[in-house]
Amino acid sequence: MHATIQKPLEEIIGYLGEGEKVFVLGCDNCAAKCRSGGVPETEAMARRLSEKGVKVVGWGVPGPKGVSLCKLSNTRKVFQEEYRDVLAKTDSILVLACGLGVHTVIDATSGEIGVHPGCDAIFGGEMVTDEFIAEYCRDCGECIIDYTGGLCPLALCAKGLLNGPCGGAQNGKCEVDRTQDCGWHLIYERLRAIGRLELLYRYQEPKNYAKYGAPRRLTLNGDQASFHFLGRVMNRQPVKI
Amino acid sequence: MSRLEKALHSGVFVVTSEVGPPKGTDLQGCLQEAEVLRDRVIAINVTDLQSSVMRVGSLAVCARLVERGLEPVFQLTCRDRNRLAMQSDLLSAWTLGIKNVLCLTGDHPVLGDHPEAKAVFDLDSVQLLKTVSVLNHGRDLAGHELEGAPDFFAGAVVNPGADPLELQLIKMEKKIAAGAQFFQTQAVFEPEKFARFMEKVRAYRVPVLAGIVILKSAGMARYMNKNVAGIGVPEGLIKELEATPKNQIRQKSAEIAARLIRELKEICQGVHIMPLGWADLVPEILEMAGLLEMAGAAK
Ligand code: SF4
Ligand code: SF4
Repeated sequence: MHATIQKPLEEIIGYLGEGEKVFVLGCDNCAAKCRSGGVPETEAMARRLSEKGVKVVGWGVPGPKGVSLCKLSNTRKVFQEEYRDVLAKTDSILVLACGLGVHTVIDATSGEIGVHPGCDAIFGGEMVTDEFIAEYCRDCGECIIDYTGGLCPLALCAKGLLNGPCGGAQNGKCEVDRTQDCGWHLIYERLRAIGRLELLYRYQEPKNYAKYGAPRRLTLNGDQASFHFLGRVMNRQPVKI
Repeated sequence: MSRLEKALHSGVFVVTSEVGPPKGTDLQGCLQEAEVLRDRVIAINVTDLQSSVMRVGSLAVCARLVERGLEPVFQLTCRDRNRLAMQSDLLSAWTLGIKNVLCLTGDHPVLGDHPEAKAVFDLDSVQLLKTVSVLNHGRDLAGHELEGAPDFFAGAVVNPGADPLELQLIKMEKKIAAGAQFFQTQAVFEPEKFARFMEKVRAYRVPVLAGIVILKSAGMARYMNKNVAGIGVPEGLIKELEATPKNQIRQKSAEIAARLIRELKEICQGVHIMPLGWADLVPEILEMAGLLEMAGAAK
């Protein structure tokens, strides 16, 4: 899931021009789970903006229940049918979702309409509980966690070190913030628990950060999945459907 | 071959120290500190934006030391540069006459004075050591041949007080395999505990210089115990500092450092003194430790 948090109201108001009419749009999947763009938050944002004198023409969270705003085919259909009239009346759409949601809205509308981000997208996370979402992967494009027992040093170590801890770990806590676990300590304990400590001796090569660069694409055609960075294919694999 | 490498190979007890470049372009104070160390230590480390605080670079100050006939150890961290910049700075360093390099991870930018800076860490310290080895062999990281290769004497750091020590020792082994030819350690205050660490690493057959931090006050010792990983200043030392009147504290600090060095002489291959601004105390410390004239010291 893509974790998001709402931007401060003043910042959002600062995006809007004098007398700009705005439609507030949420997302019923990740943003709803992060309580940044579900039904209650979207309604509340529309109300708070109105109270500040912003011309809000309406608000909505596209269904069916639980659907992601970033599923373009669905968002486009909702825009063309259910939201058709209200969107005709607005100057812009304030999107309470991640940047993918914002881009989906651009794709789903014709060029005339403005789009504003209402949230900061913060990371891709595991929903550990309904109240706790944590970053355990940074989408680096080249997964190396087999040698770390499945725990990602890029996500768990503040410096993203690949060959073991820096000298600053103390009592299993990170030098950058003593309230946080040292990622390499977690990896060490995990490898010890599964009897694979010998993996720590392996030299890990520098990462291929071309796979981490933007823009990246995934294409699925026929029986092949392809990962592209710029014009290059970084990985192509057969898929069995 | 650098003087440091020669000295470590010869088996004499080696003393190194360090200076930190200033924030701003006035190098006078920094060069003066280095001058005090002339003929007293074999080589002088120059820190690389220590504590992630923006300052003059290590490379520039190292070059100034070379100019003056002092031997620098170029500290290079992974914090601010990607692999292009790191390799380039290493080649630049060699062309400026810098022969020793100390490869470190570096502190996180969040801890410094530009906490919003992007943390790079494109390479880690082990990969950086490997990079130095690759350059020494006339290639770059991408495998391209170099027109003229450096021949650095590369070192690394280790924290003997790390817990769990096993994890630290594994990393030390990886550093050696990647090309580390000497180690400087985090500050040592407990020689007996350090001796046990040395027992464990003796088999690696790589010289270790124990870190000596000049304790300036009891408060500083307490602060380090609380905040610096792997440091344990014994209560006895703290009491000793507390009982010292203010006007005698420098004398006491020097005495403590000299005592530590004397005890470490039988345990490891040398010491690395981190004066933290009190470089003028180093000659006195060495005299008290019985190390006045360093064999082959930086002339
Ligand atoms: S190595 Fe890369 S892909 Fe694997 S968990 Fe870490 S960031 Fe994600
Ligand atoms: S203390 Fe651990 S988590 Fe923190 S930067 Fe160092 S190795 Fe990474």
